[in-house]
Amino acid sequence: MKALMTLLGACCISTSALAFEAKLETVKVGSDVQTVERGMEAMMNACHSCHSMKYIKYRDLVSFGIDKQKVDGWRGDQPMDAAMLAQMSESDAIQAYGKASPDLSLIAKARDGGASYVYSYLIGYYVTPEGKPGNHIFPETRMPDILGMSGVTDAAQRAEIQGKARDIVSFLVWSSDPHEQERHTLGYYVLGYLFVLTFLLYLVKNQIWSRLK
Amino acid sequence: MPGRIIRWIDQRFPLTSFVKHELTGYPTPRNLSFWWNFGFFAGFVLVLQVATGIFLAMHYKADVALSFDSIQHIMRDVNYGWLLRYMHATGASAFFFVIYIHMARTLYFGSYRSPRELLWWTGQGLLLLLMATAFMGYLLPWGQMSFWGATVITNLFRATPFIGDKVVIWLRGDYTVGDATLTRFFALHYLFPFLIIGAVMVHLVALHTVKSSNPSGIDLADKDNIPFHPYFTAKDFYGLGLFLIVYSVFVFFLPDSLIEPANNIPANPMQTPNHIVPEWYFLPFYAILRSVPNMVGGVVAMGLSVMVFAFMPYLDRSRIPGGAHFRPVYRVLFYVFVIDMAVLGYIGYIPPTTQSILIGQIATLIYFILFLLLPFLSKVEERWLMKRGLPPEVEALIESESREKSKLLQRRRQGDVA
Repeated sequence: MKALMTLLGACCISTSALAFEAKLETVKVGSDVQTVERGMEAMMNACHSCHSMKYIKYRDLVSFGIDKQKVDGWRGDQPMDAAMLAQMSESDAIQAYGKASPDLSLIAKARDGGASYVYSYLIGYYVTPEGKPGNHIFPETRMPDILGMSGVTDAAQRAEIQGKARDIVSFLVWSSDPHEQERHTLGYYVLGYLFVLTFLLYLVKNQIWSRLK
Repeated sequence: MPGRIIRWIDQRFPLTSFVKHELTGYPTPRNLSFWWNFGFFAGFVLVLQVATGIFLAMHYKADVALSFDSIQHIMRDVNYGWLLRYMHATGASAFFFVIYIHMARTLYFGSYRSPRELLWWTGQGLLLLLMATAFMGYLLPWGQMSFWGATVITNLFRATPFIGDKVVIWLRGDYTVGDATLTRFFALHYLFPFLIIGAVMVHLVALHTVKSSNPSGIDLADKDNIPFHPYFTAKDFYGLGLFLIVYSVFVFFLPDSLIEPANNIPANPMQTPNHIVPEWYFLPFYAILRSVPNMVGGVVAMGLSVMVFAFMPYLDRSRIPGGAHFRPVYRVLFYVFVIDMAVLGYIGYIPPTTQSILIGQIATLIYFILFLLLPFLSKVEERWLMKRGLPPEVEALIESESREKSKLLQRRRQGDVA
């Protein structure tokens, strides 16, 4: 029966843990307010003109701890409960790039590889031998190399762009699941409680079963 | 005062005797292992799913234009909505995990054998209801995988003879999966759990008629049965604690490991995902479906692969008690079956290649051959074991069991026992 248990476990893991085929740069995203705020700023400058974040309201940013003055600057005269829609309309985006720019609220969860996929994609731009822009991760992309990775060869500058990409991805990871921190905190309490409870139930069980001859 | 109330009730409703017979005093074999906890877990998960589901339904909107957004509303704005949704989504996986172990236990210990055929068949009905409920629930988030999964599976009903096309339209309420499909799946996803609760009652009535099987595979004498309460309530709750720890790890730390990334993209009928995969609990059956080149054949094979369990009481002709425990050949078959399921699950998950299709076809063949060989092998094994001689304790148990049985038969003939 032990073998059965191992097999069942292996069966569950093998089906969920299969990774993306293309080689992805793994990224360790930050979940602290500073990193997310930096990513937010970079995102507002680099992505927000075309990409919406429709599940994020300006109020969510403030309640997470991002500087209210910055948020006020971004939202302009929009109300706090307004969703972060793109500056460019969908039809304009279709005209400019041939297709609508996807909403980014959930993008960090919507691709195999998650955050690492988005990060690898952002820094995956290069110049093909024919002198055309290309992307290692998503060759068919219509998005221009917004962070300028393909034009830079200097190691320090590349590292700076990678840092910026990491910040953006950190923000996107936060926005795909704003309650993640809360979930983990609550999870530790729940698990702690369950460990104590289960231990007590174990003692109760032993106590009761010891009555049997 | 409480005593008077209970007396008042007992004159009108068998409350005390019911609790005594079916709950506290219910005789249970004392040698049950932890594998017998999983039925209790399944009941618990059912309650959990209904409870979280009702609260989710208060915030969910079954409308193609609104459903995806309403899930995000639940995840972001509803107080602890994320917890409800992750508990429910993880709960579905937990339900299948628990049920599959429950079934594997039944197969391993031969619990499906006489007199528990009806108990096993009501369980088979519950499995079908559970699969239908899970399948319909998966459409509700209206993500890419929801939409395409529902499209692929409803399309299978085209295999119905003569009226296939009409059946598919009837199921979907439209020519394609759309708003009509979403609203009816939501209605049925809310209805089916209550059918499941009803079927669980039947399952439990059958269980309490024939009583639990036990690892020895032999009906134990009265002295080896102990009251359910407090012994098995204590054991079940201790097991439940362990189960909840595993469940909570998934709910709080790994909830997205059970959700396909593509389901975080809203359904788009114009764009097929690269690779359509069902949830992990359907993967082995999906692999069987894909292994048969002909569509009708595939549907029949898949249906048969789920329903074949119902034939187990007849396929297994051995009278050696104790399931796989005392039966080396059956034990090998059991483990081959489990490995085969794992292989099929893996094949169902990966995108099909020539090689994987071949492996899938071999695994599918093995799946059915195992069941087809069982009547023959179980008989051969029985003869071989009889000739070789069973372990003395088993011999003794079988002897006492048959003595019991003949005694009971005699008393029944004389009209002592109903």
